[in-house]
Amino acid sequence: MSPRSAPRLRTLAVCASLLVAAALVGLTVGGVKLDWRALSAPGDAGETARLLASLRAPRVALAALVGASLALAGAALQALLKNPLADPFLIGTSGGAAAGAAVAVLCGASPLLSPGAAFAGALVSSVAVALLARRGGRLDLHRLLLSGLIANAFFSAVLLGIFTVGSGETARTMLFWMMGSLADATPGRVAVLLPYSVAGGAALLAFAGRLNLFAVGEENAAALGVDVEWAKRTVFLAAALLTGAAVAFAGVIGFVGLLVPHAVRAAAGNDQRTLLPASALAGGALLVAADALSRAALAPGELPIGAVTAAVGAPVFAWLLLRQP
Amino acid sequence: MSVPAIAASGLSAAYGTTRALDGLDTSVEAGRILVLLGENGSGKSTFLKLVARILEPTAGQLALEGRSLSELPRRETARRIAYVPQSVDLVFPIRCEDLVLQGRAPYGRAFSSDSPEDRRRARDAMAACDVAELSERDASALSGGEKRRVFLARALAQEASIWLLDEPTSGLDPRHRLQFLELLQRVHRERGTTVVFVTHDIDLASELADEVLLLSRGRALAQGPPAAALTPGLLEAAFGARFEARAGALRAVSTLPAGPQDRTPKL
Repeated sequence: MSPRSAPRLRTLAVCASLLVAAALVGLTVGGVKLDWRALSAPGDAGETARLLASLRAPRVALAALVGASLALAGAALQALLKNPLADPFLIGTSGGAAAGAAVAVLCGASPLLSPGAAFAGALVSSVAVALLARRGGRLDLHRLLLSGLIANAFFSAVLLGIFTVGSGETARTMLFWMMGSLADATPGRVAVLLPYSVAGGAALLAFAGRLNLFAVGEENAAALGVDVEWAKRTVFLAAALLTGAAVAFAGVIGFVGLLVPHAVRAAAGNDQRTLLPASALAGGALLVAADALSRAALAPGELPIGAVTAAVGAPVFAWLLLRQP
Repeated sequence: MSVPAIAASGLSAAYGTTRALDGLDTSVEAGRILVLLGENGSGKSTFLKLVARILEPTAGQLALEGRSLSELPRRETARRIAYVPQSVDLVFPIRCEDLVLQGRAPYGRAFSSDSPEDRRRARDAMAACDVAELSERDASALSGGEKRRVFLARALAQEASIWLLDEPTSGLDPRHRLQFLELLQRVHRERGTTVVFVTHDIDLASELADEVLLLSRGRALAQGPPAAALTPGLLEAAFGARFEARAGALRAVSTLPAGPQDRTPKL
């Protein structure tokens, strides 16, 4: 039995509530204990309000946008490739994005251009992996994962090379990209990320109905009136854009794009018109919560967020792989 | 003569460097049943996939009611042509009713929910194909025969005037085979559906077809009414086996060392 697709609005409401709850926790947790009463008291709300506005709120917003982008990209790729193991990290898109952004920084490009450079890197990686994984005109599951492994190894080498050549400051930045971190959140960075995420997200949501047909098969989509080449290009581009933007501001954070769509699919069915927006909300919630956990666990220090998601994600991925027929 | 529902001229297709169709000329009149026969790899399924716009021809023309297929909007052709594949490997769980509702995709908008009208048509189609009781079941866990009938229900919900069926009866038990054929003939009679049907079952071809198209190595070997196309000589050329009439039906009785014939005795 497969679960009947839960009503779309109810599913979205549950995921939105999770995001709001995670955001409240994220605003509260941290090295400095907040004085909430001071915030509501007239007069001297200054310190707490400043802390919230300049540090906590941008961090929560960044985590939410990055988590939403990665989960949405993962969900769309899984349907497009008819492959439940597709994920921007596993198939090498994130690695390409990190290398792209690192090259831009090494060349002295403005941080405003980082998302563009990361997008370009994500695109190069996506295309290379897709070409490697093609066999007899179709994308092969095992070849796709192997190709992602090759791409990840290659882009790690690029990052390590830049790491060695670069100055101390560059090296710190490289480390940030390789491990994933939300520590550099500022209102400005969130403002730059937002349009990229919205554009990529809107493009994917517009394809939700067609992705339902892809989830049964590419031939199925073609026979039911979808221009499959156009759909594949658009979805690949939009997923690369979302991944690139997320990596430019938070580094490589793995497994969000794998875990979140799986959890949402198990709970609410595989109708992409529900799954895509619900995954975006739940992905935002997961990363905000994981970030709060990483700050709370070692306060006043913090665990790298990429380490947290990988520690949870790798065993779940192994379990999914074992369940594959 | 009226404009044919489907007309192909010089139609060619290839998978990479492997040629699958090599200048095929054929046509089907509206409301007729055309059965495609030929050995494995002779281009039968490729022809269906070209008509369904799953593959693009490498050369030649394909016309739908006189209009070039490649110039028609894809959604419009999907409203007029339903394709039932030989088998589908389902990776994700999907309820049978949702699978049948996909037949309504060429009518809907990108992000809209399925309308009550779509749901009603899907339910009616499932009832007609005797799969109403499967509607909540996961299609990826069905038997081959059940899956086939669910896909047939989907073609019905699609309300297409042309059905392309790739070996629709293979793997069906006698009862469901008969049931499928009765359903097909009923739809064909009531709606005047044009049917293009791939099979290896020569008895079925002679029973069902208005016309038979014998394919060999991507070309038309012969096309005509069953009585004219299903002769021992032509079957021998198509399949590379000797045929004899036994108990009123043609049976392959021995294979020929040379395999199917390359060039053709035309009708």
